[in-house]
Amino acid sequence: MKKPFLFCASAVFLFALISCGPGSGSKDRLTVTMSLGESEWQVMRSKVFPLFESRYGVKVEGIQIESGSLATKLDALQKAGKAEIDVVAQDNMNLAVLVNKGLVEDLSQYEDEIPANTIPSLVQSLKFDGRLLFMPFRPNVQIVYYHKEKFDEYGLEVPRTWEQLRETAKMLKEKEERGRILLKGFGGNPTATQVYEFILQAGGEPYAFDDEGCIRAFAFLQKLWPYAAQGSQRAKWDTTNRMIANQQVYLAQNWPFGVTILVKEYGLDFIGTYSGWKGPHGERHVIGGDVLGIPSISARKELARKFIWFLQSKEVQELLVGELGWPSMRTDAYGQVEEWQKQYYASVQKAMKHGEFRENVTWWPAYVKYVTEAFREIVIEQAPVEETLKKYKKKLEGAKELYRER
Amino acid sequence: MNRPVKRTFFWMTVLILVCLLVFPMYIMLKISVSAPRDVFTQNPPYLVRHFTLSHFRDVLASGSVFFAPLSKSVVTALGTSVLSLLLTVPAAYAISRFRYRARYGLILVIFLTRMIPEISIALPVSITFIKGGLFDTVFGLMLAHLVRVLPISCFILVGVFSSFPKELEKQALIDGAGRLYAFFKIVLPLSLRGISVAGIFSFMFSWDEFIYASYLTLSKPTMPLKMYYYISRGNIFSSATYAVIITIPVLIFTFALQRYIRPGYLSGAMKG
Repeated sequence: MKKPFLFCASAVFLFALISCGPGSGSKDRLTVTMSLGESEWQVMRSKVFPLFESRYGVKVEGIQIESGSLATKLDALQKAGKAEIDVVAQDNMNLAVLVNKGLVEDLSQYEDEIPANTIPSLVQSLKFDGRLLFMPFRPNVQIVYYHKEKFDEYGLEVPRTWEQLRETAKMLKEKEERGRILLKGFGGNPTATQVYEFILQAGGEPYAFDDEGCIRAFAFLQKLWPYAAQGSQRAKWDTTNRMIANQQVYLAQNWPFGVTILVKEYGLDFIGTYSGWKGPHGERHVIGGDVLGIPSISARKELARKFIWFLQSKEVQELLVGELGWPSMRTDAYGQVEEWQKQYYASVQKAMKHGEFRENVTWWPAYVKYVTEAFREIVIEQAPVEETLKKYKKKLEGAKELYRER
Repeated sequence: MNRPVKRTFFWMTVLILVCLLVFPMYIMLKISVSAPRDVFTQNPPYLVRHFTLSHFRDVLASGSVFFAPLSKSVVTALGTSVLSLLLTVPAAYAISRFRYRARYGLILVIFLTRMIPEISIALPVSITFIKGGLFDTVFGLMLAHLVRVLPISCFILVGVFSSFPKELEKQALIDGAGRLYAFFKIVLPLSLRGISVAGIFSFMFSWDEFIYASYLTLSKPTMPLKMYYYISRGNIFSSATYAVIITIPVLIFTFALQRYIRPGYLSGAMKG
């Protein structure tokens, strides 16, 4: 009779002990969330954070939170009134939800403190309705990955214009009897960013949705689609790496994080990169990357601000260029990248020269939704371009109203 | 249709179903032990041509990156399993002693909680947990997993206790034993197999839980969260290796479970 009770009591005691772990809200600790690869975390934890810790006498705890999960986690913490996170580094494609839910601090009063050598348009892209809600950290741009051996085998040059892109796609399909260039047709941010970039290259204003440039870009994608790889309908940023590695596709655009995985980790030396192609209005690329914000719930806002300045400093930016090959937000930060990375970094640098910052709007999720639907109808199902775009423009205008009412 | 034809048809169907179920697991295992050149080709072979354990070595060599999530998952799943038994053994025993209609009604009520999609209640549940200081703690995660585990465990145990011969219990009561004494000395020891089935199910349900873990975890992820990390970063070998490691305990328990499981355990709650 005593044994079961003894067992129950011991079990409850054990659980109570386990649950008494240290809380995250201690005063001498700064909690920072980022979405990084393991090698990137290693640099942060071994080289960047210790510098700040030694100067300010606080422990920096770096926590991995995927970009897509940050808003839900912050939302839950904010509703529960818990100040567990002090600084967030977030993908600039996923900012609108943080803004719409009021999860981040207004940093407008600190705009003057942004380093003078910061790329100017980078700051403008972080404003929502005139308020500066995020700080620049790490600009990034998509580059084009291609299969060097296959291009050599078929005597092909990498496409540098829209026309060449279509010709290359057509030729590869003829030679292999299946499409070998990848378009991102899965939907969401990958598809929206791709369309946005084609519209810029066509001279359009992406948010206008149905101007001449938009029509031209969609019409081009519609013509390109029959020559695209079968995997295009499933293609996102994470699945693209696998398709390139498996040699299902010979040409695809993706963020530079793929270089670390494909070249460094998988050792696939048949992969080459270059900056990309130009449209009727030149070579233009959407600049993405990570930005920094301070959650409204943070209890250490002053320290969080200091940490942001620290990450923006020339010293740290040069360290990140050298160690990770990250393009810098500053025009005066230079670093020596590792030997294996040089050719890929050169592609990124060139693409950055043609980079444009996307204006951030609170209704970005609605834009993504309707661009995805328009892409499916026009490009995949080959619906008429102009009238389909007008239909979705109307829907987008309705959705914008809903965001304004919030 | 004569009997041999029927039997052949039956076994063919079973074979096809087994292949459909096992094939994805085989591919997962194959990738985890294949050299990159076996995987990164246009037509990857179905068999392993260049066997390697380097992906497992890499994962194991990553030290705390691997062992911290593993230990957290093991402790959480074991704790959830023990807690669920502590709560559901007495509850299920009591329910099993009700009349059929009341028992049936109670089981339905308990199962109603499983009809609500977890994703829709995860946020409010998590907020309550965070307010209660259970954020980023193993104990908090165990309690959250109980939301998922308790109905299943209770359902199994009601079946176990319902199929227990009441005469044995009555005999003990006639011999002067109290209700509790009879329960601990007669019912419990003879129902241990069924109780272990409920415990193992609870372990498995907690082991691969993702939604509550993603809400309630900050600094130390569980194994499913770690696997999600590798999937979202597009690293196919680490993803497959983690998936295999996560699957191993489930496979072991499933095979162990087969010996103990009886159809009565899973249907007993509905028996008159």
